[in-house]
Amino acid sequence: MFVQWVNGIFWDIAVVVFVIGIIWRLIAVFRHGTRKDLAEPRGSAVSGAVYTGFSRFLPRPEIRSKISLHVIAGYMFHLGLFVLLLFAAPHIKFAEEHVLGFGWAAMPHWAFVVSAQIAFAGLILLWLQRILNPVTRLISRADDYVGTYLLFLVMLTGCMAMFESYTGLRIAHLLTVELFMVYFPFSSLMHAILFIPSRGYTGSLFGLRGVKA
Amino acid sequence: MTDKRKRVRRGKKFMLWSGYALLLILVLPLIPYTIQAASNYYHRPAPVVNPIQIPDPGSGLWRDVRQRDKSYVGTTQVQGVDTGVLINADGEKWRLYRMDTLIPYGAILMGVVLALILLFYFVRGRVRVPDGFSGKKILRFTLSERMVHWFTAFLFIFLGITGLVLLYGRFVLIPLLGPAGFSVTASACKEAHNLFGPIFLFAMLALLITFIKDNFYARGDMKWLVKGGGMLGGHASAGRFNAGEKIWFWLAIILGFALCITGLILDFAVVGQGRQVMELSHVIHSISAVVMIAVSFGHIYLGTAGMEGSFSSMSNGYVDENWAKSHHDLWYEEVRHHTDAVPLKTSVAAGGIAQARREI
Repeated sequence: MFVQWVNGIFWDIAVVVFVIGIIWRLIAVFRHGTRKDLAEPRGSAVSGAVYTGFSRFLPRPEIRSKISLHVIAGYMFHLGLFVLLLFAAPHIKFAEEHVLGFGWAAMPHWAFVVSAQIAFAGLILLWLQRILNPVTRLISRADDYVGTYLLFLVMLTGCMAMFESYTGLRIAHLLTVELFMVYFPFSSLMHAILFIPSRGYTGSLFGLRGVKA
Repeated sequence: MTDKRKRVRRGKKFMLWSGYALLLILVLPLIPYTIQAASNYYHRPAPVVNPIQIPDPGSGLWRDVRQRDKSYVGTTQVQGVDTGVLINADGEKWRLYRMDTLIPYGAILMGVVLALILLFYFVRGRVRVPDGFSGKKILRFTLSERMVHWFTAFLFIFLGITGLVLLYGRFVLIPLLGPAGFSVTASACKEAHNLFGPIFLFAMLALLITFIKDNFYARGDMKWLVKGGGMLGGHASAGRFNAGEKIWFWLAIILGFALCITGLILDFAVVGQGRQVMELSHVIHSISAVVMIAVSFGHIYLGTAGMEGSFSSMSNGYVDENWAKSHHDLWYEEVRHHTDAVPLKTSVAAGGIAQARREI
């Protein structure tokens, strides 16, 4: 009964909440609009948006040495997670059978294991940085911790169900993924999508004012 | 009392209870087994002797194949590691070691260490700072040192729990979860243990690099040991780390690397290691793990409930000036006279951003 519920109706609910929630958040952001800039433009808004969109992937030279661990752990976690999400064989099979109707080449098992280890190490380091650094501890909210713990559970249950030998483990992974999808649009996890319009807006303002930053 | 101070106190309380909970999770499964193991030992059944000898030509053949006393390698067309061994006679020795030696004696060792800690607590009580807290804080561990410590600790506790489930789960968890439930739990723990294990190697390397410089033998360490760290009466002087902490550091390094190397041999059976190498690796891996877990109980106790004012050194990095004078007087003098490490006259609650600026 519970297995059917997780496999069926809760999955449908999670997908609907995930998609509608993201669209709703994006509409809310874009509805704010932009203030009209009466100053004479000194550069292109588009090139400013594109430049800032990419330049923010690297830390500013002035603070690079102080946040190097944060940056390295951040890249470890995000890259590891994306590789797992997009190229793990069970995920591709799931996407082919339940979501997209087509699949693509999966990575070998050893690459799966290495990606998971890199992602886990990055996530643990970022979590420790959050609770041990007084600054990040002060600016962290419950939402940040919930997002971290939920993602850790998603990854952990996924790795425990690696060989898909038990239905219970696969269901535990699916359940945590569904909870994650329901939580995602209403939390700071939305940064995974909002970083693009956020950087674009800042970059376009910089571009119009001729600031290269 | 300000809200901030209340929050800090709540946070400290939360961390302390989290530590207790972790300890409980780690230890609880062992208690029923220790009792069961002791009971089994005294009520073991008498060996069954078959009085009638039935001649069986098949048994002679299989006895020869099995080669009870020595390992025999035959010839075969199949190319690969151990393909010439039809039955691995050492496998039985390894099985008996695991079931009759490792499992009961491991449980007894961990149980005895816990009992000694409890006894110490009831006899000695919590080790207090003699003059009370001064309110002046000194930076003991930097952010990167604490990151390395907790990264290693997190992995150690995770690997310890999953490893103990694999070792003692059949005795402790089958009565609770049933065979099917334990099967799922064991499979999940095995996958998680194998996945997190290799990360522990990097944690150990970071631990070695970060803390090695202050953990070499120094003058006064032997005196500290003779005085039992001050427990046997009189003050025992110590530098940044006392002799006890240094012994724990080197034990953790040696056992930790033994765990990592043997763990990699067991985890990646694709580089030509045979059964005997795997069995030997398991023996070293299991003994190292049980000893390290048992000793870590003492470390966790002294770092949390056992010694007043210790936990803050690893939670926010600061210790009280009187704590430093009492437990690490030589280090305190060094810090006081060092221009780069002036004692910070602020409370943790009021620290906030100012503290962070100094720290990072």
